[in-house]
Amino acid sequence: MFDQLYENIQQYVSLTDKDWEVLKNNIRPKRMLKRQFLLQQGDICHEIAFIEKGALYSYSIDQKGNQHVMQFGFEGWWIADLQSFLTNTPSTLNIEVLEDSELLLIDQKNQQALLQQIPEYEKYTRLLFQNAYVALQQRVENALGLTAEEKYNRLIERNPDFINRVPQHLVASYLGISPETLSRVRGQMSH
Amino acid sequence: MRVTKQSIAIIGAGSNIGSAITKHMAGSKCRLLLFDRDIGKLQSLANTITEDYDDADLITMDCAHSCSWEADIIIMAVSHNAEKEIAENIREVATQKIVISITDSVDGNLKKSKLDPQTHAAKQLRNRLPHSKIIKAFSPGFYQQVADLDGEELFISGNDKEALEKVAKLAVSAGLKPVIAG
Repeated sequence: MFDQLYENIQQYVSLTDKDWEVLKNNIRPKRMLKRQFLLQQGDICHEIAFIEKGALYSYSIDQKGNQHVMQFGFEGWWIADLQSFLTNTPSTLNIEVLEDSELLLIDQKNQQALLQQIPEYEKYTRLLFQNAYVALQQRVENALGLTAEEKYNRLIERNPDFINRVPQHLVASYLGISPETLSRVRGQMSH
Repeated sequence: MRVTKQSIAIIGAGSNIGSAITKHMAGSKCRLLLFDRDIGKLQSLANTITEDYDDADLITMDCAHSCSWEADIIIMAVSHNAEKEIAENIREVATQKIVISITDSVDGNLKKSKLDPQTHAAKQLRNRLPHSKIIKAFSPGFYQQVADLDGEELFISGNDKEALEKVAKLAVSAGLKPVIAG
C-alpha cells in the first residue's frame, strides 16, 4: 500500500524505520473510482494526495463553462490544490479521478505535525516544493513562448505514456490549444 | 456547505440497526458503501432504498476491507464480537478515518453508559484501531425501530473534538439531532 511513497521518499531522503511508521500512521488511505471527485470547486483542500496507483487531474471551469486543465497526477506523484491547502481558502479547482486510484492522503494538521517531528520529512517536502515551483515556471514559459508543436513535443518527451492514458481533449486543454489543433499536430507528427 | 461528496461505509448494513441507519443516510447526499455478511438482506435493503430514494447513491460490496478503503467515514453496526474481527480486517485502511461504533445499549445515566469513551469496549476498539478516530454513537430510535428518525437524538462521544464535530454535522445532514455526550 505504501510502496510508491516509500520509493519516492527514498529518492530524496532517508527515513528511519521509526519515522516511517510515524508517517504511515498519519496517512489516510483511500481508494477512488474513475470520475469521482477528490475535491470540488468551493471546498477547502484539507488534504494533499499521493498517488500509489492510478491517475487524477485538476481543472477549473470558467464562467463560460470551459474546462481548463491545471495538472495531471500519475503513480508516484502528489496532487492537491496547494493554494487552498496552504491558505485554507476555498478551492478554485476540481480534482477528478481519471483512472481507478489508490491514494494516500495527509491532512493539514498531520502535515504540520510531520514537518515538525521528522526533519527528513521536512527536507523531502521542501525538495518537492522546489521541484513543483520549477515545473510551474517551465509550464508558464511553455504556455507563453512555444508553438503548439513545440508544446506537444515537450510534453511527450517528458511523459511518454501520457498520451496513452489521457483523453485527447484533456491533453489539448492542458497545453492550452484546441482539440483540432492538437489533432493536426499529431497528424503531422505521425507523417 | 461542503460540495465534495463523502463516502460512508456501513458495515452490518443488513442488521436492524444497520438498515435503520442506511435508510436514514440515504437522503444525506453521501455515497453509501454497504457491507453485510448476509448478502440476501443486503441486496433486499439496497433494492428498498433504490425504490424509495430516487437520488440515493449506494453500492453493495462483498468485503468490509474494500468498503472501508473507499470510505471517508466508517460506521460499524455490528455486535461487539463482530466488531473485534472487523477491526482487525480493516485496520490498515481505517488509519486517520472516523470510525463510528454503534453502541448497543445505554444506562439511564449517559455519562456512565457504554457511550463513555473510557469503557472497556471503547478501549478495546481503540487498541485495535489505534490510528483511527473512534466515535461511539447511540440513538433510541435505532432500537425502537422508529420508521421516521427525523429529529431523533443521536448521542455521540469520543476523544477527538474535530471528529465529533464532523459526525455531528453528518447527523444533522441525515435529519438527526446530535448530542455530544462526552
